[in-house]
Amino acid sequence: MKHYLLPSDNLENFIAKLEEDGSVFYPVLEDNNAHFVKHEKEKTFEPNFGKIRAAENIKHFLFPSRDVVAKFPKDVAGEVKKQYLFGVKNCDLRGIDVYDKIFLNWEPTDPVYKKRRENTLIVSADCPEPEDCCFCTLVGLNPYGESICDINFTQVSSGLLFEVFSKHGEEVVAKASNLFKEATQDNKKERETIRKNAIKKLSKINSKSFKEDIPERVEKADKKVKNNARKDCVECFACLHICPTCYCFLLSDYKRGKDVERVRTWDACYYSAYARVGGGANPRGKLDERFWNRFECKFNYFYQYEQMYACSGCGRCFRGCSGKIDIREILWNL
Amino acid sequence: MESVNPYYPIPTKIKKIIPETSNITTFVLDGMPVQFEAGQFAELTVPGMGEAPFTPSSSPYADDLEFTIMEVGRVTKALFNLKEGDVVGVRGPFGKPYPLKDFKGKEIYIVGGGVGFAPLRSLFLALVHDIKDYKKIYIRYGARTPGDIVYKKLIPEWQKIDGVDILLTVDVGDESWKGRVGVVTVILDEIPVRMDAAPTIVCGPPLMMKFVTQRLVEAGFKHSNIYLSMEKNMSCGIGKCNHCRVGKFFVCKDGPVLTWEDVKDIEEPFL
Repeated sequence: MKHYLLPSDNLENFIAKLEEDGSVFYPVLEDNNAHFVKHEKEKTFEPNFGKIRAAENIKHFLFPSRDVVAKFPKDVAGEVKKQYLFGVKNCDLRGIDVYDKIFLNWEPTDPVYKKRRENTLIVSADCPEPEDCCFCTLVGLNPYGESICDINFTQVSSGLLFEVFSKHGEEVVAKASNLFKEATQDNKKERETIRKNAIKKLSKINSKSFKEDIPERVEKADKKVKNNARKDCVECFACLHICPTCYCFLLSDYKRGKDVERVRTWDACYYSAYARVGGGANPRGKLDERFWNRFECKFNYFYQYEQMYACSGCGRCFRGCSGKIDIREILWNL
Repeated sequence: MESVNPYYPIPTKIKKIIPETSNITTFVLDGMPVQFEAGQFAELTVPGMGEAPFTPSSSPYADDLEFTIMEVGRVTKALFNLKEGDVVGVRGPFGKPYPLKDFKGKEIYIVGGGVGFAPLRSLFLALVHDIKDYKKIYIRYGARTPGDIVYKKLIPEWQKIDGVDILLTVDVGDESWKGRVGVVTVILDEIPVRMDAAPTIVCGPPLMMKFVTQRLVEAGFKHSNIYLSMEKNMSCGIGKCNHCRVGKFFVCKDGPVLTWEDVKDIEEPFL
């Protein structure tokens, strides 16, 4: 992989260069949380790459909560603009990995997702300061981008150390080559120290690993375990749409004059009517069943399909949980 | 859109509407907007109201696509308000067809309940199309009352086909009914096929599926030979939205027909 150094003073110019043919989004700090905002020249340029992933997940950039997927009787494709996601953390790349598998790799390819994905360049950032909610290393990730992204960078003392992963990423760097310097061995050494420290912090936060046979343990969990796992759930649903790997959706049709729009909206298997059929039968009518089904989906079924957990270790679910249910605890205790 | 948008339904006219019972109707569409094989299903759109999944009731070899549908929810209610000549949308075909190659040379045992007989009709007609390839086709069909029996005019014709054996039952008879009375499991007491070899195909309401499967398992049918047509909430039809998942299976992609071998370890698979 090729490495380049973007000196700190050149960052804003690089963002401006990207903005020439698309919108650029990056995290800023507000109330001690990171939030992705659109770059606007008139506003103060204060990106933050040190904080953990943004409070909101970033799936809406590729999979909006409301999206027109077809028109009837005549189908007309919607416009998709180019976008740059700058400073995404690796946990959110796991979400995109899950989406790529479902919407690009599983037949048939989803043309709406594909178009957005092709028009999105992802620049991920190292996550140097993991917090108590973080457990990316327990689900097979490192706190820095290694795939899925086009470019990953580490914030080192003299700027951003870029590592380019894709042709698209290489083109973007080439377009602004005057802003970059050659990366030095010292830059790379500094990066290794940052990464080692981050991993060390994560091992301290999560003193135990998940057992290797989690999928089997999730599948074979008895009623007592399932009931105990959800006992503090008050069905506030905070964990659902905030999850970067949840992908359930619902298609609904809306009249627009003589035409009809088919709209995809986010849905969640945790809603009581989610699986109910027209005749009234409901395979998961009880909360216990729905709670555990979500675990099965993430830690058993998806693992069976792709040998990977549909969980990013971002910890948004229990940061947002009214009942303070920590999924790590449930998995550790299986 | 790009060349193939799997979410786009093909506009198709309703050619004919045939009432079957007080709440079941057959909609004959104009032509074959989607080419399917027996066992596959399609999503039927009522413009502006939404769509729902149905398995065709017509033969895959027919000129027109037909669906026999019970009025039960929002989309079907809107569908029942449409007239001949109105336009609906069709997406598909989705799911896997029956492995008819594996059925060749065998006795086929088909068990239907209520409107569940609709998709079985499509299978039956596909089998009849190549009837010489199969040893014998048995149909066991139960409805609530004689008035709830679908394809009343067609069944006597089918009974005349060489190699076809049809037995009907109703839960509750009336003065005109001369046939068997009792739930469909009653007519499964005497099973005329070789249970260790014959494939059996079941479609009907959840409770009927449960008890019929139980009976077939007890009778000695191979678990991998018991084909069950699963009814699940579906949205996308292409294995992405996650609505229809039962265990690790997407009913829309791996089904809609799964075998008892597939689902026997799942708690209440028919719910």
